[in-house]
Amino acid sequence: MNGIRTLLAAAVAAAATAGVIAADAPLTAQQQHGRKVFDIKCLPCHGPGMWGTNALARRMPLDKAELEKRTDLNAVMVKTLMRVGIGSMPPIRKTEVDDADADAIAAYLTRNSPR
Amino acid sequence: MTASAPLPPGVSAADFNQALKEFAGVVGHDWVLTSEEDRHTYLDAFAPGDADKHACSAALAPTTAEEVQALVKIANRHRIPLWPVSTGRNLAYGGSAPVLRGSVVLDLKRMNRVLEVNNELGYALVEPGVNFFDLFEALQAQGGKLWISTPAPGWGSVIGNALEHGVGYTPYGVNANSICGMEVVLANGDVVRTGMGGVNPGGQEWQVFKYGYGPVWDLMFTQSNFGVVTKMGIWLLPEPEAVANFAISLPDMGDLPVMVDTLRPLRLDDTINAPYTITNPYRSIMDPMSAQGKTRSTIYKGPGCMPLDFVEQTLRSRGEGMWNVGFNLFDSDKGLDLREAKIRAAFDKVPGAKVKTMRWHRGEPLAGWMRVSPVLFPLAGVDWYGGPGGHINYAPVVAPIGSRIAEVYDMVYRRYVEFGFDCYCGFLNIGGRAIVVNPCTFFNREDAEMTRRARELARVLYKDGAAKGFGDYRAHISFMDDVADMYGYNDHAARRLGDKVKDALDPNGILAPGKQGLWGSAQRVHKGKPA
Ligand SMILES: Cc1cc2nc3c(=O)[nH]c(=O)nc-3n(C[C@H](O)[C@H](O)[C@H](O)COP(=O)(O)OP(=O)(O)OC[C@H]3O[C@@H](n4cnc5c(N)ncnc54)[C@H](O)[C@@H]3O)c2cc1C
Ligand code: HEC
Repeated sequence: MNGIRTLLAAAVAAAATAGVIAADAPLTAQQQHGRKVFDIKCLPCHGPGMWGTNALARRMPLDKAELEKRTDLNAVMVKTLMRVGIGSMPPIRKTEVDDADADAIAAYLTRNSPR
Repeated sequence: MTASAPLPPGVSAADFNQALKEFAGVVGHDWVLTSEEDRHTYLDAFAPGDADKHACSAALAPTTAEEVQALVKIANRHRIPLWPVSTGRNLAYGGSAPVLRGSVVLDLKRMNRVLEVNNELGYALVEPGVNFFDLFEALQAQGGKLWISTPAPGWGSVIGNALEHGVGYTPYGVNANSICGMEVVLANGDVVRTGMGGVNPGGQEWQVFKYGYGPVWDLMFTQSNFGVVTKMGIWLLPEPEAVANFAISLPDMGDLPVMVDTLRPLRLDDTINAPYTITNPYRSIMDPMSAQGKTRSTIYKGPGCMPLDFVEQTLRSRGEGMWNVGFNLFDSDKGLDLREAKIRAAFDKVPGAKVKTMRWHRGEPLAGWMRVSPVLFPLAGVDWYGGPGGHINYAPVVAPIGSRIAEVYDMVYRRYVEFGFDCYCGFLNIGGRAIVVNPCTFFNREDAEMTRRARELARVLYKDGAAKGFGDYRAHISFMDDVADMYGYNDHAARRLGDKVKDALDPNGILAPGKQGLWGSAQRVHKGKPA
């Protein structure tokens, strides 16, 4: 949702690195849907300067801490961590992100990973 | 059902399986959630070491009030306790987990429609699964003419937060005050519309007049277990012309009483027209660090509560005083000028006070400091001792008299030093007249000893506060009976009244047994002993 992206961009306007997502290869329909769900359900914690990104930056280089920029995620890992939770990230329930949406998020986040 | 799932207390496996089949007949097999993976998602994610004591046996996810009606009827036949949640993000108070182990979570997240936004009359009518992000988006899509009053983390439910007496930071700060009209499914499956919603056939008045005719029921369904709320009207703040932010800092440790006494009259006459939050020195250090992803070990490595002189030095080096208060005012630009002049005049009389302000004007993009757009970064504080974290609160209601607030703070601070936690404490002005003194204990969930200490600290504070005559405004599922005990006037007349109502409306006690210490006759045997 553009509203949330704008909002987050405003919230981190101070951070010089804040900006649009790097240009990728064109997204498949599933990946596009995944990005839309990710924006609503994950971005408030995984956008630049947000809690999840900051938490991950404590244990990996900053350029890897933003999930959307990762090239080493795999779909099983993304879906499992979403359901089980990791660190302080609470589990995301099926009523919030159903299995089809979880698949779509995973497809979006792994679009740049080697297959 | 996997082997490790608890059963609802007193219900046989055969009966439970039969009920699950009947539930599936209503919501479909996919939305009777019984796998270990699914049940895990309903545990209290920030539990103070006792997540399994509040494990559910299953979760049900209906999409309509009719489905909710059918589910409560089945639950009644099989005597199965249901624990309704709207979005189940009641973090620090139990998340989506029930008080009574083995209850079935009634997860209303899929009922997620914004049914109406009325810009002319200033309200929205929402279903339980609508969270503050959803409502914010829906309002923005219509030009942002109405504003939400979001709690610090925005992924909770508009309905769930209002039902819990939650708070946001606009003039409509206490969300329960903004409730106007509900639809409620009672334990026997009946559906009631409160207030003007009862008029048949109804018109445009449900969300504009709270009182209807006869007794007013809305607030009876808040912090209670008397019904399942399936719709709620919520009044929304019309976009003001301007917003001003105030950050006021007082230099010395002894300045808490003068801070409270200076704010009180300004809030009472509505010069300050939205809730303020006073932060103690620890919180003033910890909040900005957490927002940047920094944990305690980056500034301090020793055990115990960080020494006060270290805290003072840290704040001084940043040019800040020991006591800080933040709030926003909502008005026209001219109105803000008048308010600002009064506030500055009041704080000019306080030695060493520093007042900083900022303004926003209609047409500019919403700024983070306005706290009117939902965010999730405030949750980052739980990582203070390194993740995976959690936190529990002590939250007594205290009259905003400087000496009284200072007395409670002193009691809290001593206990934090004794128990070895950094004394993070906010003072939330809830509802204009009161302050909720709100120390939060952060803990690392993987450190069993620290988690145990955090629990003990909470219990000790409850006892200390109760002895001085204070009562909390809200409680974690592990402490609901402890807090109910604080309200003991006339041999617990308040709880006895609650129990009578409970027995009348829900004789089998199938709705949220133990919620806020209300068990009812049917489920009282389970009080205090996990199944
Ligand atoms: C760091 C941090 C900061 C926080 N700051 C704030 C804050 O500023 N303000 C604030 O208010 N809270 C705050 N909270 C607490 C909490 O996160 C929010 O109050 C949150 O909105 C509550 O969760 P929810 O809306 O998902 O409610 P839910 O979990 O859906 O509901 C809460 C409870 O209400 C009852 N209930 C819910 N829906 C229904 C229904 N439809 N019918 C019957 N009963 C129902 C149930 O007992 C349920 O357990 C904070 C928490 C953390 C961790
Ligand atoms: C409330 C905030 C929050 C939300 C919402 C959230 N996360 Fe997270 N997430 C975190 C935090 C915090 C971490 C880091 C945990 C840690 O300390 O290791 C994290 C870590 C992760 C990781 C681990 C990455 C790694 O390399 O270890 C994945 C994958 C992940 N999140 C996926 C998601 C997805 C997908 C969503 C949306 C469906 C989501 N998260 C929503 C807070 C959140």
